[in-house]
Amino acid sequence: MNAGRLRWGDALIGSLAAGIVVAAFVLAYTPAGDARVLVISQAGVAPQHEPLDRARVLEVQGPAGITRIEIEPGRARCADSPGRQDICESSGWLQAHGDVAVSLPNRLTLQVLGTDPGFDSMHY
Amino acid sequence: MNPVAPGHPQAGSDAHDRAIAALAAIAIGIQILEAAIPSPIPGIKPGLANIVTLITLLALGWRAAVAVTLLRVVGSSLLLGTLLSPAFWLSLAGAVASLALLAVLRPFAPRHVGPVGLGIAAAMAHVAGQFLLAWAVIIPHPNLPLVLPPLLLAALITGSLTGILTAQVLADPRIQRHVHTPQPSQ
Amino acid sequence: MRRATTLTLLLLLATLLLAACGREEPDTEQLGFYAFGTLVDLSLYPAGQYDVEAIGTAVQEELEILHTSWHAWEPGSLGRTNELLALQGEFSAPPSVLPLIERGREMEALSEGLFNPALGRLVAAWGFHQDDPQGPPPDEATLAELLDAPPSMQDIERNGVRLRGNHPDLQLDFGGLAKGLAVERVLDLLAELGVEAAIFNAGGDLMTLGRPETRPWRVGIRHPHGGVLGSIELDAGEALFTSGDYERGYDWEGERIHHVIDPRTGRPSRGIDSATVLHHDPALADAAATTLMIAGPEAWPEYARKMGIDHALVVLEDRIEATPALADRVQPGRDREPFVVRELP
Repeated sequence: MNAGRLRWGDALIGSLAAGIVVAAFVLAYTPAGDARVLVISQAGVAPQHEPLDRARVLEVQGPAGITRIEIEPGRARCADSPGRQDICESSGWLQAHGDVAVSLPNRLTLQVLGTDPGFDSMHY
Repeated sequence: MNPVAPGHPQAGSDAHDRAIAALAAIAIGIQILEAAIPSPIPGIKPGLANIVTLITLLALGWRAAVAVTLLRVVGSSLLLGTLLSPAFWLSLAGAVASLALLAVLRPFAPRHVGPVGLGIAAAMAHVAGQFLLAWAVIIPHPNLPLVLPPLLLAALITGSLTGILTAQVLADPRIQRHVHTPQPSQ
Repeated sequence: MRRATTLTLLLLLATLLLAACGREEPDTEQLGFYAFGTLVDLSLYPAGQYDVEAIGTAVQEELEILHTSWHAWEPGSLGRTNELLALQGEFSAPPSVLPLIERGREMEALSEGLFNPALGRLVAAWGFHQDDPQGPPPDEATLAELLDAPPSMQDIERNGVRLRGNHPDLQLDFGGLAKGLAVERVLDLLAELGVEAAIFNAGGDLMTLGRPETRPWRVGIRHPHGGVLGSIELDAGEALFTSGDYERGYDWEGERIHHVIDPRTGRPSRGIDSATVLHHDPALADAAATTLMIAGPEAWPEYARKMGIDHALVVLEDRIEATPALADRVQPGRDREPFVVRELP
């Protein structure tokens, strides 16, 4: 008889616990850029969804000119947009679920969404 | 037919109570010793007193384990002067969570689950219980979840250690005669 | 018994996994357009039930009318009213302007003069009566003159639909109130059109009409310095308005000149970057957000109490302060410090 012998339950609990530890680390320390998709909404046009999977540059034509959008894995930003005050550009990298940038001259909003259900509306 | 061993639930209730009191005293001693020795990593303790909880669970059953653990939590905080302080409530929350999970696992022990599995489960539940209390009541800081993963990892390690140590203690012949749980036949 | 326990555990695990992986289809429909000088966004619930295009057109038309009627410097009903007020004789007011004047009077009284729609000339002097404000700021002499016995809403005499201005400098500017009233109108219109539940968002300020059957509305609140400040769940008929120094303004000799002018100093308000108010009356929420910003970091809770506002938060340079009621409801965003709770006096 050996009380120290490992039973199958020990192995199961040990691996479950190890799984929980790994999952906790992954969930808690995933970099803030957990955004998965960029939603480009332009006045009068159906919103356009762009996955944030690989680096690329998009150009959106608006009433005031061209808004240049830079996309990288997990984040996106308004790199250049018409308007003297650079409000759109100053939003910086959009990387957390719900981050938005707005270009009024081009009547454009950029919003990144993560895995959570999206917001119904954005207050700013 | 074996004579009923002292400390066994079927023995006189005095003997049972004495066994619980003795185990609680040992647990309080361990906990106070642990509190006196500074931990290398703040917030993480080996939790060696849990060995006593596990031994009580396997030797005397779940109710006895509850009694010993609660006596330990209250007794050690009385001696350390932390009664009803946040540290006390955190300790109690951890203990209650571990005991709850042990109640679920008890029917599987010792046939399918040994001390190591119980030790890991109890330690993980302890951390989870403490965390939930801290999150819900004490400091609902948005960055609090960031401290959970290291604590869980520590619980996995210390839980395995307390489990192995429990197995060692249980294997000791001086303890064996008190343990009357069915062992898997070899 | 043991089998039952195992089964329960397995079921529990399966449910958790399903809940974690399941992503529902959106139950709302989105519609965005440009109106009222800003980006307008409409979320309609439930999806697939409405003629979205017709609703969009109706809302757009309504906003167009309100925009021309209430514009502070373009020709329209308010423009004409301002001309007639300056003549200081009695005249029949355009009906669309009357509710603005009434609510403006009420807000001025509630805010003890911090919110003063009669100071259009002061706002114009700072260069904000143009689409793209760029200065220059007024000089000291002009400011001193404008601040010497300034007009108030009490200088408008009303007799039925007849109005008379009693102050030579009186010029109405309903920035900080017109949007609130417009939101109220649009929500009435949506209800008339048979919309069950919706969020109407005009340039970030928003209000809910009804709510989805099974869940509250989820609204993200953007931090004026970028990122998400937090999120809030809204019930039916709740308006969320923010006034901020980043909304309109220009830089002049290294200084940020913004459009919220403090009537006590005649200069852009200082100390509060933005103020957010939650209330069931959108006009009050709009005016209160402006008032709290003007009131400043010390006095804002006092003015919130005066205006009957329980739910407010202000963003300062290094922290966010909130009333207890709003701190309870806003879930701070990732990596955000918890709010500093300020009790109302």
